[in-house]
Amino acid sequence: MSEKHEMPTFSAGVEHHVAQFLFERAQPLLLQFDENWQLVNLHGDPARFGFDPDHADAAARQLRDLFLGMPLDETIDLPFVHMPNGRSAHVHLLGDSEPGFQVLLLDAQGEHDRQQAQQQVGNEAALISGQKSKAIAQLRQIRSELERQRMRLAEANALKNALIATLSHDFRTPLTSIFGYLHLLDTQASQSASVRHALRALRRNSNYLFTLAENLLEYARADTRSSMLEPVRVDLAHLVEDLEGMFQPLAADQGLEFTIGVELLDAQTPVLDELRLRQILVNLIANAVRYTKKGGVGVALRWQDGALSIEVRDSGIGIAEELHEQVFVAFNRVRQAAGSGAGLGLSIVKRLVSQMHGSIDLQSRLGEGSCFHIVLPGLASVVAAPQAGTDETPALGSSRIRSVLVVDDDPDICYLLDAWLSDLGFRVRIVGDAGAAVESALADPPDVLLVDVELPGLSGNTAVFRLRAKGYRGHIVTLSATPTEEARKVALNAGADQYLTKPINIEVLARAMQAATPRR
Amino acid sequence: MTAPARKVCMLGDFGVGKTSLVARYMRNTFSDTYLTTVGVKVDSKEVDLGEPGVLKLVVWDIAGRSVLDALNMSYLRGASGLLLVADGTREASLRTAIDLLLQSRSVLADAEAVLIINKLDLVERWEVGPSTLAGLRQTMPVIETSALSGDGVEQAFLELAKRLAR
Ligand SMILES: Nc1nc2c(ncn2[C@@H]2O[C@H](COP(=O)(O)OP(=O)(O)O)[C@@H](O)[C@H]2O)c(=O)[nH]1
Ligand SMILES: [Mg+2]
Repeated sequence: MSEKHEMPTFSAGVEHHVAQFLFERAQPLLLQFDENWQLVNLHGDPARFGFDPDHADAAARQLRDLFLGMPLDETIDLPFVHMPNGRSAHVHLLGDSEPGFQVLLLDAQGEHDRQQAQQQVGNEAALISGQKSKAIAQLRQIRSELERQRMRLAEANALKNALIATLSHDFRTPLTSIFGYLHLLDTQASQSASVRHALRALRRNSNYLFTLAENLLEYARADTRSSMLEPVRVDLAHLVEDLEGMFQPLAADQGLEFTIGVELLDAQTPVLDELRLRQILVNLIANAVRYTKKGGVGVALRWQDGALSIEVRDSGIGIAEELHEQVFVAFNRVRQAAGSGAGLGLSIVKRLVSQMHGSIDLQSRLGEGSCFHIVLPGLASVVAAPQAGTDETPALGSSRIRSVLVVDDDPDICYLLDAWLSDLGFRVRIVGDAGAAVESALADPPDVLLVDVELPGLSGNTAVFRLRAKGYRGHIVTLSATPTEEARKVALNAGADQYLTKPINIEVLARAMQAATPRR
Repeated sequence: MTAPARKVCMLGDFGVGKTSLVARYMRNTFSDTYLTTVGVKVDSKEVDLGEPGVLKLVVWDIAGRSVLDALNMSYLRGASGLLLVADGTREASLRTAIDLLLQSRSVLADAEAVLIINKLDLVERWEVGPSTLAGLRQTMPVIETSALSGDGVEQAFLELAKRLAR
């Protein structure tokens, strides 16, 4: 502003033109004040800058304020000053005007607007890019925090599942022993009423414990297990028999009538995921029996047109209509309020049904009992290999005494199997680990080898594999606490003929042993 | 009977809220649209300080810059007080405010200065930490304000006025 340039000379005409042009643009206003800042003269249009000539002292005060603290005998240029009417002006104090002050105002609105538009863009861009990088940094931090939390949760979840799985898995072995001894005691003739009562209570509670353990295991598995179905041919009559054996005593104990039946109206053998089917039925029936205090529980299975229809009806406490959705939610309070229990059963039933592409329907009113109706489509298109042994009618009447080699490291189970197998007429040998099993089986090949998978050191499957490799041709029944199709396949691939999951009861064992006894 | 007047300049990076603070103080208004200040806008207000009497503050709202160029230096002439303004949500603007103070010292050796940390209403997004402020308070008055809510604004101007009246 204050720089001095070498002025080129122009003709008078040009200079006049330039002066005219600048004058029009600047619309100068010259205000002359005396030494006391009283307006004495004025050239130009004061209204252009918002000054009211009738209130000259207000204008004077404002202008004087601009030069506050500055030496007033110098020329002072203040560019782009905001005027009372909002316009921008260049304000000049002209120094050589003693004894008063001369203030010259030049309009700068146009220039101001151009500069403002330019700077606005630049400043806004700078502010936004600052905010953007800040937001990005925050997002990044949030993301990594979320990721950390996700990993912690996943870890915690995996740990929880592993814990539940291990616990419920570990329930199986002791339950086997409990069921076994219960059976032993049941078969003992001399029982007083009070002992019988105690035994029934034991059976009822261990059954409940078993269902609970199964459900926990299923619940934990849901996250990890593939929803791949494992179709096998299902002997529904046999399944019904099992269920009857399991629940009839419980129902009778509570003074309930328990009926269960199956109708086979389709010529084709039903092909279903048996493990899942069994779990559905056990849960539904256990629930029905639990929540029914008088009357009865009826179970009807019907295999027709390639689908299995299941109806479980009870005369129990019923479920209010508004709670129908809720009862299928895990750990729901409806069931917990109605009695003890984790409220897992129905949520698992629902999940299993949907995994099997079936449908579930609940009809119930509070105080009027409940009826669950399930339809499961058969998996007929999948050709399932018949399970070894289960389709065969057991050979009876063989006179030769059969031998069994039992391989298990749990002394309680060994004792129990010894008792049962002896009851069934077998000669029983027992060893505690895989090495001893191979040795013993080769030295004196038994008719049947009953081997536990979970052995200390080498697994039962390894023993089976070695024996088969060395030419052992007897029947092999593998026992395990792992009720998966996968575990079953591993065992069969190793060379077993049958795969039974714990806890086993004497009926299952008897059937297996009958199947194992060849008619060759 | 006119009150003594003092020239006060708002100094700080663009966008920290200088114009907004002046608008809040002078007219008790606030606008959330940002309009870059070009040049200078001068406003004045009389402050009654009680015992020392009334002081007229002539407040110069100057275009925000991170360095003082010749133009801004010329605006500073004659100022006896500085309101340094930083935006609590932009740590860098605090450094700029302090830089500006140091640069201004070459023309205004004795000006009183008060540091304003603005946008208190956004305190949960502040990058300027309390320990930084505690350190600064040992050398000059530091006042947290919000031009949006009005918090601290009056107090900041009053603090400077008191110092100017001494
Ligand atoms: N939230 C919030 N925004 C503010 C505050 N003060 C100013 N702003 C906003 O910040 C932006 C810049 O304000 P301005 O006064 O123009 O800043 P200057 O460039 O320093 O004059 C504008 O959008 C204002 O609305 C405040 O205390 N709180
Ligand atoms: Mg501004």
